[in-house]
Amino acid sequence: MLAVLKWGVSGSFLICIISLIFLVLKTFSFGRKPHYARSQGEGKKGIFYAFGKAMMPWEKESARRHILSYLAGIFYHGGIFVAFFYLFSLVISLELKMPFVFVFRILIGLGFICGIGIFAKRIIHTSLRKISCPDDFAANLMVDLFLALAFLSTFYPVLKTYFFIISSILFLYIPLGKIRHCVLFFYVRILFGLFYGRRGVLPQKIKFEI
Amino acid sequence: MKSENNKQKDSFEERIENLRPEDLKKVLQIFHQKLNNQYAAYLNSCVHCGLCADSCHYYLATKEIPAIPAYKLSLVEQIFKKYFTLLGKKAPGWVKAKALTRDIVQEWIDSLFGRCTLCGRCSLNCSIGMNIAYIIRIARGALASVALVPPGLQSTVDTAVEKGNNMGIAKEDWIETVKWLEEELRVEVDDPQAKIPLDKKDAKLLYTVNPREPMFFPLSIMAVAKIFYAAGESWTLSSENYDVTNYGFYSGDDGVSALISDRLVKSMGKLGTQTLVIAECGHGFNSNRWEAPEWLNKKYGFDVKSILQIVAEYTRRGRIKLDPTKNAETVTLHDPCNLVRFGGIVEEQRYILKQAVTHFNEMNPNREKNFCCGGGGGQLAMTRFAKRRLEAGKIKADQIKETGAKIVASPCHNCIDQLLELNKHYELGVKVKTVCEIVVDALVI
Repeated sequence: MLAVLKWGVSGSFLICIISLIFLVLKTFSFGRKPHYARSQGEGKKGIFYAFGKAMMPWEKESARRHILSYLAGIFYHGGIFVAFFYLFSLVISLELKMPFVFVFRILIGLGFICGIGIFAKRIIHTSLRKISCPDDFAANLMVDLFLALAFLSTFYPVLKTYFFIISSILFLYIPLGKIRHCVLFFYVRILFGLFYGRRGVLPQKIKFEI
Repeated sequence: MKSENNKQKDSFEERIENLRPEDLKKVLQIFHQKLNNQYAAYLNSCVHCGLCADSCHYYLATKEIPAIPAYKLSLVEQIFKKYFTLLGKKAPGWVKAKALTRDIVQEWIDSLFGRCTLCGRCSLNCSIGMNIAYIIRIARGALASVALVPPGLQSTVDTAVEKGNNMGIAKEDWIETVKWLEEELRVEVDDPQAKIPLDKKDAKLLYTVNPREPMFFPLSIMAVAKIFYAAGESWTLSSENYDVTNYGFYSGDDGVSALISDRLVKSMGKLGTQTLVIAECGHGFNSNRWEAPEWLNKKYGFDVKSILQIVAEYTRRGRIKLDPTKNAETVTLHDPCNLVRFGGIVEEQRYILKQAVTHFNEMNPNREKNFCCGGGGGQLAMTRFAKRRLEAGKIKADQIKETGAKIVASPCHNCIDQLLELNKHYELGVKVKTVCEIVVDALVI
């Protein structure tokens, strides 16, 4: 049974990756505009900045003002990445040593708590509720369930069956709903870095050049 | 005048009421045409985290949900999803995808024109990093295709297209103003040979102005002329194409934007000048420096610089001498969004002011993180949204108050107009000046 489910996870993962690649390529079907204006800065530096300093609370006001949400987001996404790694280890039957399992439990558990917190915030805050759609709630719950089962299956191996099932469903849903941002985030951050980098806005210059 | 405004408003409302299915189809068609890979990526990426809310001066001032950038973005996103995504087509309710209707068009006009200055502050604070302002601009452009740009803004665009400048100044009046300013300059610098050159061939710089300057603020032109005189610069004005503004940038109409900016390109060719110098105008700089080559699909064979870059260079190289003690009052600086956050002119104005005044206090936050004054996005031209504009300007008014400054320097005439209104409305008791006006007060000739 588990062997079949492992194949199911692998298959849905493959479908997910192909769909996400298609999604990214599809954006180019809308056309791609070359840049004509002379660059004033470096796009590469902008990209480097976009993935680093630009996301730090001391640099980003929204992160600073909502430090709890910011930290919850970091731990939530951290937990998700660890849970995916745990899933991968199970699929390839990799034996994880106890200290690793212990650390995984903490990170995945923390991710789950933060996920539930983010879900609660979306329900409680009127403004957040107003800008949300059913997909926002469903995606969050689905990932929370994925994290919960990842966490529990480290204690109760019998739950691996359910963990594999939810993982397969999750992989199939990723390209359709908001979780597609797992790829588009990187795409958009590159665009962000290129835009501000070329214009010499970011990273900030200390002196002007003549 | 008032009844004319009402009449104009009524006809605009009527236009919305009478939208035909063909009009909606055209809005969609133009919206689709304006999309590219970047916009498609943005419109697929919003996670609705709402962290952008506090970055918007409209939201901070009103706490209204339609002012949240993610909400404004969702108005465009719902249409994109309905027509261009699988889930939006098959299960629209699941992702709040909606077909374009008259009600949505009405909401687009109210929120995308009426609650956004295209300042781009939300982009810096977006968890993902989407360029929300530019998405809103393409939606504005789609509305422009069926004549749904609010009347004040559209008439400014129309005047620029028809008359060659957004104030409708006749060529003879412009030439007369320049001649009068030249006489004033001669008196002020005590040099009968001093000139404000007009259509001088092969000069190094072609200087452009905001038409509000000859109309209401001639001292701004005089200040720059005096600086050029002191630096011994080779420069000229054009008798025909001198308008640095481009309200097509705000209406979102790329065709018109290209037409307006191309006039300056033509003048550069005709006069054989090397550098196009943009007056203190935020959107004029962003339009002509960054956007116009994209609208025109061509690389420029000349440099486009802000007057601030030129003056900073003069100051650093010692081509002009400044005495800061002549500006003893505390000065603060407002960073125009299009010049700083979108334009990359950040440190030049600071360098200049530190040489030209004795006390300089920064606003907090400043530079690319600064708050919009509320005058951008064509808001000053759209009288129907004036109340909101002033309300949203409270954030800037509070920023100014905190600095304790007596003078606010702003390298943008749109911002200056808004700051003057805020000064009155919030009783700030400050003077508002361009950077060059402050420089000229400190100039040693």
